Amino acid sequence: MKNTQRLPLGNRMKSYFSKPANVICVVFLVLLILMVVLPLFTLLIGSLTVNGNQEAIYIGNGAAEGDFTFHHWTELLTSKEFDYASIKFWIPLWQSTLMALLACAVAVGFGGIVAWFITRSDLPGKKYISTIFVFPYIMPSWAMAMFWENFFKNTEMNAGMGMLQSVTGICVPERIVYGLFPCAMSLGLHYAPFAYILIGGILRNMDANLEEAATVLKTSRFKILRRITLPIVMPALVSTVLLVFSSSISSFTVPFFLNKSSINSGNNFISISVQMRSLINSGFTKGQGYVLAIILMLFSIGILTLNNWFTGSRRSFTTVTGKSGQVSLVKLGKARIIVAIILLIVVTFFAIMPLFSFAMESLLEVPGDWSTFTLRYWLSTEAFEGSNKGDTIGILRSGLMWRAMGRSLLLSVIVSLVAGTFGLLIGYAVARKRNSKLATTVSDLAFLPYLIPSMSFGAVYLALSYTKGFTWLDGSFFLLILVGSIKFMPFASRTGTSAMLQLSGEIEEAAIIIGVPWFKRMTKVLFPIQKASFISGYLLPFISCMREMSLFVLLAASYTTLVTTVLQEYSRTGLTQASNAINLLIIVFVLVIQFVVNKLTGASIDKGVGGN
Amino acid sequence: MPKIVLEHVCKRFDDFSAVEDLNMVIEDREFITLLGPSGCGKTTTLRMIAGLETPTEGRITIGDEVVFDSEKGINVSPAKRDIGFLFQNYALWPHMTVYQNIAFGLENLKWPKDKIRERVDEMLKMLKIEQFEKRYPSELSGGQQQRVAIARTLAPKPKVLFMDEPLSNLDAKLRLEMRTELKRLHADTDSTFVYVTHDQLEAMTLATRVCLIENGYMQQYAPPLETYSNPANLFVADFVGNPTMNFYETTGKVTGPNTAEVNFFDHPFVFTSKELLGEYSGEGFVVGIRPEFVNLEEGGLIGKIYATLPAGMETTVKLQVGDYILTSVMFGNVDYKVNDEMHFEVAGDGIILFDKKTGKNLGKGTLTI
Repeated sequence: MKNTQRLPLGNRMKSYFSKPANVICVVFLVLLILMVVLPLFTLLIGSLTVNGNQEAIYIGNGAAEGDFTFHHWTELLTSKEFDYASIKFWIPLWQSTLMALLACAVAVGFGGIVAWFITRSDLPGKKYISTIFVFPYIMPSWAMAMFWENFFKNTEMNAGMGMLQSVTGICVPERIVYGLFPCAMSLGLHYAPFAYILIGGILRNMDANLEEAATVLKTSRFKILRRITLPIVMPALVSTVLLVFSSSISSFTVPFFLNKSSINSGNNFISISVQMRSLINSGFTKGQGYVLAIILMLFSIGILTLNNWFTGSRRSFTTVTGKSGQVSLVKLGKARIIVAIILLIVVTFFAIMPLFSFAMESLLEVPGDWSTFTLRYWLSTEAFEGSNKGDTIGILRSGLMWRAMGRSLLLSVIVSLVAGTFGLLIGYAVARKRNSKLATTVSDLAFLPYLIPSMSFGAVYLALSYTKGFTWLDGSFFLLILVGSIKFMPFASRTGTSAMLQLSGEIEEAAIIIGVPWFKRMTKVLFPIQKASFISGYLLPFISCMREMSLFVLLAASYTTLVTTVLQEYSRTGLTQASNAINLLIIVFVLVIQFVVNKLTGASIDKGVGGN
Repeated sequence: MPKIVLEHVCKRFDDFSAVEDLNMVIEDREFITLLGPSGCGKTTTLRMIAGLETPTEGRITIGDEVVFDSEKGINVSPAKRDIGFLFQNYALWPHMTVYQNIAFGLENLKWPKDKIRERVDEMLKMLKIEQFEKRYPSELSGGQQQRVAIARTLAPKPKVLFMDEPLSNLDAKLRLEMRTELKRLHADTDSTFVYVTHDQLEAMTLATRVCLIENGYMQQYAPPLETYSNPANLFVADFVGNPTMNFYETTGKVTGPNTAEVNFFDHPFVFTSKELLGEYSGEGFVVGIRPEFVNLEEGGLIGKIYATLPAGMETTVKLQVGDYILTSVMFGNVDYKVNDEMHFEVAGDGIILFDKKTGKNLGKGTLTI
């Protein structure tokens, strides 16, 4: 008898599937292919076929609905007629790239500096700075854009009096208020806390001995930063740049709020995502919109590959665990107080002032003029013109607003439960099956939705809901849950994976040996140990979903569906006071949730970085 | 020349103190080991001398320069103390090759390029790592990484070299090898070495003087053989030596300036010291007997064989006498049967009498009937 004879296939399968990690991997592989890869495939097909009659007319040459065509690609990328390609594609692409690069520089610069001070120096007030600093990230991304507008707008450009003008009388030029620069700034400030969380995490985990070894060898502080610290945190920096870049370039809401430049000012800024929406919304150019969506995604995937290549090289960061507990903080000396005060002021300004500005805008009939103080936009029962019955100008009296708020809340709770649990399971499977091809694929697929711009992700599912066999999805609440869960899963799966990787396999094995079943091991052993991290994995999708607009804007059945779409409707009809009020309401709500969860469980999105 | 002086050095954290009132003089070219159990404050002491940690109080002088003085507010940065530091986890920079790691310190000293090349080659050769010059640390084994770390530390020729448990991450065989090399290195470099370890054997074999620390307090600061044969107190006696010293708690009284009557296994024994006895609290003695002073198959005391542990060159024999287990070491290979009766005696002039209450060494001498 040969002892190399393998077990029969049936038994091998049985033994393979007796391990929960394998089951999870396989289930999620199938699920993610259905939810992520397949819709992307429909997007690709959409970019290569004639979508609808209007498109057929637009293309001409006897094209009919459903025909295969390269027309969308050639038209958008190469057409010289009226400079079509350069106006519709190349210039927006170039400007968006510039905007995203600038946003990266702001986010990484600002976030990185704060991270260094919090983790590596003896700065006073760390806890406060760390808590306050993440506020702008908890707010919706357009909040910073609205604040920027509220702060800088001025009467010289016919936009009402902003805070700066009303306090100092200074009128800044239009290009500082609308266009590429303010978009980049608001995105940069919004993502700075995100950079802070990533970079701070690495700095905190980095062995302080590496820097001390250089100090002893007579290296100046600046040189240590340049030659030792920066290269070692480089992988984290690159990842941060990648994520901020891909989020910024595809950001829809910020350019949407800040592209109100007057025509002929020479300050015209159309971002690629705004362009994409206008292409998709038009029946004539849907296919071209899909082309743009694909190009944006290729962009992101390209950078991700670059990132993997960069971090995977032989210089890779291996930690030999040592006495890293003995981190000696850099003494700032006399600069200590000055730096702390400057940071406190800057951080507080960007965290508190937006709230203040939204409150103020919602209370003044004429911006900047205190004599026009009114509670009308909060409490009035006057009917909101041109909309459904039951909608009032005062948002607190509007039944529609409250119902939308309730639906948003319900959606966020469901999405966070689904995405958080999926993320946790994926984290578990990936950590247990580390280095296996299957686990890596599942992990990559779970991260893919992050790289798909919200707008195109919405478009993908919109396209799907028009497809035969899936029409029951159209406008349904289930569609929103589905899209939200998939889109926000990357946060949860990353958090879950890193938390699970920190737990050694032995902890679970000890439970296996005494016969604890899998479900109980998860709920009674693994979850409690990394409770704070896992709850963060639920919190992130919740917050992201609660404040999400661009993902749902195409999919919501009507503007009354979610609180963010209500906000957009008020903004569109010119009731800035009411839209500011709703904005404030959403932000305060999200902040309160984050605060309560933090107090109850210790979980928070800046966890592991600041002020212990 | 760098003589290191510590005066009244304290390090207190919020709610506990790591080092209390430490006074110590390290002479030029000495090889000092700081020895003690985990968390006793030895690493903190080393880091304070190096300048990586700031003492709460006290004064530290290296050579002629005061590098730290809490009263005068002096605190010289580690970069200006002219020292080398070898970390427990090596702290090699993962993004630099072996060559770059070693050359980095020399670049900071603004050495010319050809000199750097020359010195790095010299170090590579000395530590037998020439072939790894172009590799990154993650591509080296633990022992190789350790050699690179030593090369990096030695390259700028520091006058004082600090080492924080540099061998603890190596396997047993390599550790022995590196121990020899470190001792050789000390002879070759004319530098002062300060070495932290929790391994008493390492401390004994390497050092010219050992400083024993417990709970932040210095217990004894003496040449290794002195700490072995004349430990200052029960802690030192217990920590140094393997197998450990026998401690027999008993009663008795001081009968003269250098004699005491001690109740030893129900017999009145006389302890005679060559020197005057220390001050006795009157609350009991602890007799400390190194295993090599317990002779078997001789004398009038009787015990039972509890276990025999042969190790080749010597054999450790555990003897049960009443409730007490006595350890004895014999040269060569013997094997006794468990539970056999055995005569034994306590011989030699290295018996230590401790005060049970204070733990202090009262005297060293003989124990006779």
